[in-house]
Amino acid sequence: MNRHLSRHLAIAAAVVTVIAAAGCGGTPGSSPGSGGSTPTGAVQKSGFQKLGPVHLTIWSYDNQDPGLEPVLKELSANFEKQYPNVKITMVFKDFNSLVNVVPRALASGSGPDITEGNQGYQTDAQLVKAKLIVPLDRYIKAYGWDKWYSPSTWSMFRWTDDGTTFGKGPTWGVAQTGQNINVYVNTQKLKQLGYDPSNMPQTFDEFNSMLADMRSKLPKSEPVIEFGNNEGYGTIHMFGGIQAAFFSPQDERNWIQHVPGSTWDTPDNIKALEAYQAWAKNGYFNSDYNALKYDQSAAEFAKGKGVFWMGGDWDASIIKSGLGDNAAVINIPPGQSGTWAGVGGLSGPWHISSKTKYPDLAAAWLNYIIASPEAQKLMYEQQQIPSPSDAIAPPAGDPFLTQVTDAFRQVADDDGLMLYTDWASPTMYDTLASNFQDLLAGRISAQDMAKTVQDDWEKFDQTLQQ
Amino acid sequence: MATDTAAQLGSETSAGDRARARKRAPGEPRNVAWLYILPGLLFYGLFTLAPLAHTVELSFFDWDGLTVGHYIGLGNYREALDDPLVRDSFRHSAELIVFYALLPVALGLLLTAILTRHPVRGFTFFRTALFLPQMIAGVVVAQAWVWIYADNGPLNEFLRDVGLGSLARPWLGDFSWALPAVGGIGTWVTYGLCMVLFIAGAQSIPASLYDAARVDGAGAVREFFAVTLPALRNQVVVAFVLTTINALRSFDVIYNATSGGPGTTTYVPSFYMYRNAFVFNRVGYAAAIAVILTAAIFTLAGIVLYVSSRGDEG
Repeated sequence: MNRHLSRHLAIAAAVVTVIAAAGCGGTPGSSPGSGGSTPTGAVQKSGFQKLGPVHLTIWSYDNQDPGLEPVLKELSANFEKQYPNVKITMVFKDFNSLVNVVPRALASGSGPDITEGNQGYQTDAQLVKAKLIVPLDRYIKAYGWDKWYSPSTWSMFRWTDDGTTFGKGPTWGVAQTGQNINVYVNTQKLKQLGYDPSNMPQTFDEFNSMLADMRSKLPKSEPVIEFGNNEGYGTIHMFGGIQAAFFSPQDERNWIQHVPGSTWDTPDNIKALEAYQAWAKNGYFNSDYNALKYDQSAAEFAKGKGVFWMGGDWDASIIKSGLGDNAAVINIPPGQSGTWAGVGGLSGPWHISSKTKYPDLAAAWLNYIIASPEAQKLMYEQQQIPSPSDAIAPPAGDPFLTQVTDAFRQVADDDGLMLYTDWASPTMYDTLASNFQDLLAGRISAQDMAKTVQDDWEKFDQTLQQ
Repeated sequence: MATDTAAQLGSETSAGDRARARKRAPGEPRNVAWLYILPGLLFYGLFTLAPLAHTVELSFFDWDGLTVGHYIGLGNYREALDDPLVRDSFRHSAELIVFYALLPVALGLLLTAILTRHPVRGFTFFRTALFLPQMIAGVVVAQAWVWIYADNGPLNEFLRDVGLGSLARPWLGDFSWALPAVGGIGTWVTYGLCMVLFIAGAQSIPASLYDAARVDGAGAVREFFAVTLPALRNQVVVAFVLTTINALRSFDVIYNATSGGPGTTTYVPSFYMYRNAFVFNRVGYAAAIAVILTAAIFTLAGIVLYVSSRGDEG
């Protein structure tokens, strides 16, 4: 290489270095203005016509089968009619696409005015910590939302300002519907196997023996429980009812909210994991459960495969449209405590962006989509349960919907909504999903899993103490 | 690379006006060459080098992607080296190289050997059809294969129909078979690319070489190893480099077909990196995994190129 060429190379290297250095911005996240402002003063509840042209962008992931999507669309159209100067753009994304993108979208300043988040450390804690959403306490007071939920239910929306303490501090979200993991029953098959839909097991032990009995009566190709766990959350949902038969719901909530001294690695919880492992070992599930997606398994059950399907009450309409009058709903019955409980809570939390120019208008929209009788009627039409405890009753003449509603109330009234286990740390979803798959395949023991999950919890707990 | 181009450009220009430019040695590039390469260099710097530098920088921070980060030096790298999931991910990637690189190259060579020896009618159509997988979005490919691999999907139906029902299984949900099944998707996507590269190369082999081989009594196999394969060496190297990079970067198929499961049997570095950056709120750690992955890709591509260039001299 001659001298001139090396001079050229040096220039090239210098240019490249300058450009590359431009890509480095010092300490990441330190640029000003990543968070917006918190509104104060009296809440404006009406008269939004005077605002002039307003454009609200709203993000939601409630678009499955078809879920709340038609409800939200119709309510937003009504809202636009009431305030002709307001234009609403509803954006629907699938759950993962929304929660994995929304923090950065909000931080950019061109994100949604109103969005769903997700309770727990993975999403909501981040939004609170980065000051991307506003506390709703002034709206709760102004509109009287406080009577909607019990204190333990409200705790899923509460965070201290630094996003580290879950269940205490200001309230950052409200939710539209109640969520409970149901046991959907194909009553036609149930009767064929000699069971009476109106006289279902009332204890976990009875339920367990019924599953064993059904396994012995059904042909091998037919699962007792149709199951889809490709994504990994099917197991998290299903385990709740089993766990509740051994482990106290309050202990589970404390653990999720990182109350000091909480642990998953207890003899009772290990018993629950063993009981769950036994379901797989005894062959209650379809053999392809790890390859089948959650929604696909719901569709298979709706077509008549399996006696039971365990999944969210938000999937009630797909089951009903398939099985019609042969569909029924129960909860996994309780253990010795007698408390009806399972994984559940409320649907995705609605948040108001700290960067929106119209927080009060956003709150008025939230009030309308949750508290108004027309909203609640539309939710029932989609087989969804309105979350407020003072909601209107489900329409008469729909026994299935009444069962879905009763199943939610049975758990909610027993203070048995255990929340979602994966809220406990940002990595908990992955840890649970892969460990449950290993547990059910018999590749690890219940003790192994309890310990691994607790290790994940403790690793994250340490970062909260800093 | 850019400077080589500059040198060539410069020498062509300087040849014409050598008389007036006595100060430069013959072949010495003129500074005007910089103008030619500036746009490319600018784009390359802005969209490739700057993000790369930024990623390296982020890898030294503990950062959640939103609030202020903390400088932790090599902390992320130390953690990554200790993280069993990082090790598993790279091991899975190594297995995928067999399916994404070795098999497609072998298949591509076989198809080339057949198609060049026995030209078939509608050759262009077949070439396009076999190349098609390369052009379909990964998400679509994954969905199609999820269906093919399903318990009641065509693959299992076929196995049951031919009396191999005992082999039928939910492929993507099986702890031992999920990774090879994902690899199979990779083979299907990549072999068309290899084949098109090789056929293009084979078309420039003089027919006289084949004639000579035949006169010497070479059969199909001998002809392939004596004429076709040596002539395609450069194409094979290019195919290996491209497909190995594809194997290490594979994300869309895994994300859509298995989400890393069952258990963690199909975790690969890019998937784990994505989980850290966008789900676990650990952007710094994800950046460190990205840097390690980039280094691994460079190293592997370097080894392939080095081995092939050594062959040139010997």
